[in-house]
Amino acid sequence: MKIALAIITLTLSLTPALAQQKTPPPPGPARPLNLPKITEKKLPNGLTVVLAPLPNVPKISSILTFRSATTATDRQTRPGIAQIVAIVANEGTDTRTSKQLKEELRAIGGSLSLGSDADSTTMSASSLAEFSSKLFELMSDVAQHPSFPETEVKLAQENTIQQIRAGRADPGFLVNERFQKAVFGDHPYSFVVPDEKSISALTRADLRAFVTKYYIPNTSHLIVVGDIDVDKTFAEIEKAFGSWKSGAAPADDNPSVPKRDKRQIYFVNRPGSIQSAIYIGNVSIPRRDKDYFALRTADTIYGGSFYSRLTRNIRETKGYTYSPFSNSNTRAKSGAFLAGAFVRNEVTGPTLLEIFYELDRMRVLPVSDEELSAAKEYSTGNFSVELASQFGLAGRINTVYTFDLDKSFINDFRPKIEALTTADIQKAAAKYFDTYRAAIVIVGDWEKVKDQVRPFGEVTMYDAEGNVVTK
Amino acid sequence: MKKFEHAKFVEANGGSLNGHTDFDYTNYYQTLPSNRVELGLWLESDRMRSLDISEENLKNQQAVVSEEVRVNVLNQPYQLFEWISLWENAFTNWNNAHNGYGELAEINAATIEDVRSFFKTYYAPNNAVLTIVGDVDVNEVKKMVEKHFAGIPSQPAPKGADLSEPPQTKEKRVKQTDKLANLPALATGYHLPPQNSPDFPAMALLVQILQAGDSSRWYQRLVKEKELTLDLTGGLNYFGNEFDYTGPMIMTTRTTYKPGHTADEILREMDAVVGEITTAGVTEKELANAKVQYRSNFYSQIESSFGKAHLLSALALFRDDPAQINSLLTPFENVTAAQIKTAAAKYLVPTNRTVIDRVPEKKGGTNQ
Repeated sequence: MKIALAIITLTLSLTPALAQQKTPPPPGPARPLNLPKITEKKLPNGLTVVLAPLPNVPKISSILTFRSATTATDRQTRPGIAQIVAIVANEGTDTRTSKQLKEELRAIGGSLSLGSDADSTTMSASSLAEFSSKLFELMSDVAQHPSFPETEVKLAQENTIQQIRAGRADPGFLVNERFQKAVFGDHPYSFVVPDEKSISALTRADLRAFVTKYYIPNTSHLIVVGDIDVDKTFAEIEKAFGSWKSGAAPADDNPSVPKRDKRQIYFVNRPGSIQSAIYIGNVSIPRRDKDYFALRTADTIYGGSFYSRLTRNIRETKGYTYSPFSNSNTRAKSGAFLAGAFVRNEVTGPTLLEIFYELDRMRVLPVSDEELSAAKEYSTGNFSVELASQFGLAGRINTVYTFDLDKSFINDFRPKIEALTTADIQKAAAKYFDTYRAAIVIVGDWEKVKDQVRPFGEVTMYDAEGNVVTK
Repeated sequence: MKKFEHAKFVEANGGSLNGHTDFDYTNYYQTLPSNRVELGLWLESDRMRSLDISEENLKNQQAVVSEEVRVNVLNQPYQLFEWISLWENAFTNWNNAHNGYGELAEINAATIEDVRSFFKTYYAPNNAVLTIVGDVDVNEVKKMVEKHFAGIPSQPAPKGADLSEPPQTKEKRVKQTDKLANLPALATGYHLPPQNSPDFPAMALLVQILQAGDSSRWYQRLVKEKELTLDLTGGLNYFGNEFDYTGPMIMTTRTTYKPGHTADEILREMDAVVGEITTAGVTEKELANAKVQYRSNFYSQIESSFGKAHLLSALALFRDDPAQINSLLTPFENVTAAQIKTAAAKYLVPTNRTVIDRVPEKKGGTNQ
């Protein structure tokens, strides 16, 4: 592949001095915005197929999403089954050993992996464009005919248990796990990893039954982006996925999300920590909610961009932390707003104070016109960059189908962001940056920081395994 | 420009920005809508011309970088030993061996004079490469670059650091304990031939064959067949690729292994796999597949404008020839199975490697 874009590399050297310009140069005329051309089709077995050409490199990138196979599926009887199935499905089919499968992938410059969360299981795959039909054949084989060899099941169970043990040494893992539990309570979104007993209890028969029941085409969608010809690619997909049998769509399990009634501190004690890992947040909204754009933009201004209020305050002014952040992680059935920072022990209390101060400032006072206009440019500009990469665009399209968004979501993004007012932002902040009932999760050394933490609320203490312990 | 205004301008114009220091360069970059390319040039020229480093700003950034080291290294299990400790042990020359993240005491000891002098010497236009990729008009952008950068004075060219490294003659083994980790881990590093060596492309493909992904030979042996380790990661350049460095380099491998096993068991299996290659070689099919995978990964690297800009910058900085981007794959496509066999025998020997075995301080971890 020869690069034929405008490429300029200049080695800089001394030439006669020119005066330095003091004001920012104005933008040139806007270049045409190339929105993706998206085609949706359906196979007779119910599989939704979405195709979008993006020939930026001679590759294709694909996401196959099973919406019935989530970490909430069968969660009462077999916690963790979706995760173990996602691992072992990739380790051999009725006609291919694990090793054969990996070698065939390598031969097409390919990759294929599966993962599951509370909304779906997704298979992400890519290859050189010239081998697209082979990639679809392999994806279809893994979706339909995983064989779950006994040895692979055992290995996955053992390694998953060990990996979770390893993860419990990482403050990032611990703070996220406790945060999801604190915010979502008994809702399926609180689930992060299964306990060891549940993992060990799973049998090969359980895994096979799970695939038969929940890896079904009529509740799944296949996104293909890349160097493709829509008709030719669709014909390849028909051939590879046409024989996939549909099944009965399971009933949607959608319990209500618990409402928090007070501010509460969840402290995971990690003696020897030299930093406190802090997450502060609360339940927000599902992705489909009408407040999505306002909340997303409030988040951009608060802590979701580099030049955000939180970064300016606790990084650039006070030097408490390297990478403060916030996000308005919205999912199919609910979401959680979250602000966080990893800070040295000595400034744990001051950091909590500033995170709350900036949250409350968003609730009480409108943002400036300048801040809002910057946030709009930031969101729309970076949205375009996202759409310019194959997995970026595939991921975006995937959210449209996984969260049942309007099919025009991608085209509407810019006008919807541009329509927001400062009043919309304040309203969203007032509603969702609920500091009075926030969950405060801290992973750190209790003895070192307890005096700084106590003034912020009642404390429940946990060990790294998730057990409640006494202080 | 006031502190942090660069970020404000970029984001308020629909862009994003970052920068980092690597083994052999420091870069700054931004992605902007293409009609705002001149804004990016104006901002970068302002930084290069007249960076204003105040005492207050320096103190603030020392605190920020200290937190970066705490969050990414000191408060983490394993503390990036497969980079920091491995480099400290594998290399002899301080220029190559020192902790690249920096010790907290050293970061905080830097004075404003140190920083100003470093900036003046190394952030000079004659020591830099500027790369622009995107939907822009080449001639117009050339004029903009001239306008904003031509007046920035050059500086005496800095004397390059001595990066020479004596050849390693015997295996180095290091044992470490870890206060935070629950499971043991192992890292190895093998010295690589220089990029212009005829052995280099063979080594790059050998890395594919041995440890790139779960079809690789070491992954298959350690994780799948012998069930000794949970994972296997690593590659030819810990932070980048085959092209974006210039000094001496090691091929690194890192595994987290299962309690009840030893580093020796893992090394024995790694050596056995290498032994199979040095005696029987690799098959033509295996080599062909490695080349396909290599090409596919290369395309992913240059998929974005930023990916292309980064690679072009490296080729301009280290080879003074960015046009090589159009023929970079050729030496790798031409590698033969015989060259792979020879390279394995020459470089993947215990005397050429450093091994670090890092085990939890509490015997067996907290959870056994």
